[in-house]
Amino acid sequence: MTEALRLYIDRVIEFMPRMLESLGETGIMLFFAMLAAILAGIPVGTLLYLTSEGQPTENRPLNRIINAFVNIIRSFPFLLLVVAMQPFIRQVYGRATGDPIAASFPMVVIAIALYARFVEQSLNEIPRGILETAQSMGATTWQLVWKFLYVEARSSLVIGFATATISFVSYSTIMGVVGGGGIGDFAIRYGYQRYETDIMYTAIVLIIILVEIFQWLGLKLAKKLDKR
Amino acid sequence: MIEFNQVDKMFDEKDKPLIALSDITLSIHKGETFGVVGESGAGKSTLLRLINALEKPTNGSVSVNGIDVSNLSKKKLRQAQKQIGMIFQQFNLLNNKTVGENVHLPLELHDYPAALTTDEVLRFVGLEDKKDSYPSQLSGGQKQRVGIARALITRPDILLCDEPTSALDQNTTEEIVEVLKKVHREFKMTIVVVTHELPVIKELCERAAIMEQGEIRKVITVKRSTEQANVKPYHERAIEVLTDD
Repeated sequence: MTEALRLYIDRVIEFMPRMLESLGETGIMLFFAMLAAILAGIPVGTLLYLTSEGQPTENRPLNRIINAFVNIIRSFPFLLLVVAMQPFIRQVYGRATGDPIAASFPMVVIAIALYARFVEQSLNEIPRGILETAQSMGATTWQLVWKFLYVEARSSLVIGFATATISFVSYSTIMGVVGGGGIGDFAIRYGYQRYETDIMYTAIVLIIILVEIFQWLGLKLAKKLDKR
Repeated sequence: MIEFNQVDKMFDEKDKPLIALSDITLSIHKGETFGVVGESGAGKSTLLRLINALEKPTNGSVSVNGIDVSNLSKKKLRQAQKQIGMIFQQFNLLNNKTVGENVHLPLELHDYPAALTTDEVLRFVGLEDKKDSYPSQLSGGQKQRVGIARALITRPDILLCDEPTSALDQNTTEEIVEVLKKVHREFKMTIVVVTHELPVIKELCERAAIMEQGEIRKVITVKRSTEQANVKPYHERAIEVLTDD
């Protein structure tokens, strides 16, 4: 038993540099996805909410366009989205394969669509009376969003962000198909293609730990922000 | 002064339009306390919400201090709305802000040259020690006091009260009515109260409109009860009511 354990530790040490490199690639893809979720997902989700039916700022054509974008992206099987975006990425970035930054393009697109939907749902949970109060105080739409909606929805927005990030981890694992690397790709290459089962399980455990950390951080922060 | 001139209000329902108000003509004088009573669905809340243009009339016009609020540009509308305070049945406080932050909120939206301070209004409603609490730590009556403080901080000419005591028990209702009477006494503002609770109107208002099915049946002068409000502890009132024949 101790012999087997020593053997396993030796193998993990041997593979460690490759594994850390893969984690770094996952980190790059997650970074761009999370950044896009915050910088674009939040505004798009807010716009979805503000333009929906029954709001003072209702705008049906705009709402339909954004809804269509979100639905189409989200209903795309992710692998096909990755492949379908190849020519576009090549145009914009110069290369579409073999690089985690190139692999981040589809991650960015799915991140915006996914988190926009979560943001819309969070805002929908705010009681109608809060909107009415903002309106009765003569708030502009900008003030409504920043001083009322985001204040009341903040813990729900954080929980949604943690859930979205966990999905990004899952999406990132298939980026190996375009040579994007990442810890998921590492697990597939060593475990599935080279039968190094122990190394594959080690990589999977790392992914699970990553997910647990995001979940824990999200819940902790949400709880701290929630004064309801 | 608030004037309704032949106002109709209809809502588009799926099959047929719902008539919420029909042919309302009414004036509410500057500085008076005016009640609007009626059963649920009589249209009283809609009437109130026309005053600060949360709703727009289908026909007719509503004017506040000589300005027709039913026909303003968005910017002018916000200017008109900021002069009118409002309190709500469900209080509508922001749960993630402290009491002090909630009360100060209107001042973050617009400039008010004659505004009061957070401490002044909290002292006025008797909650100076709750400034750093969150709404979830307050009772219903305290939440409504915060609502009143938030409405007062801008020193509005008009205070609209939408079922201000309907979510509260009887003793707390009397407390809130006392606070509103004090508001009227000290700030001389026009107060319009919508409620189905007749004792609230009797205690607080000089005149009242009685509404039924979207119409005003009658506008009356309220005979105020002369005896001082006699706030009994809840357990005494419970015994009195439950053992009465």
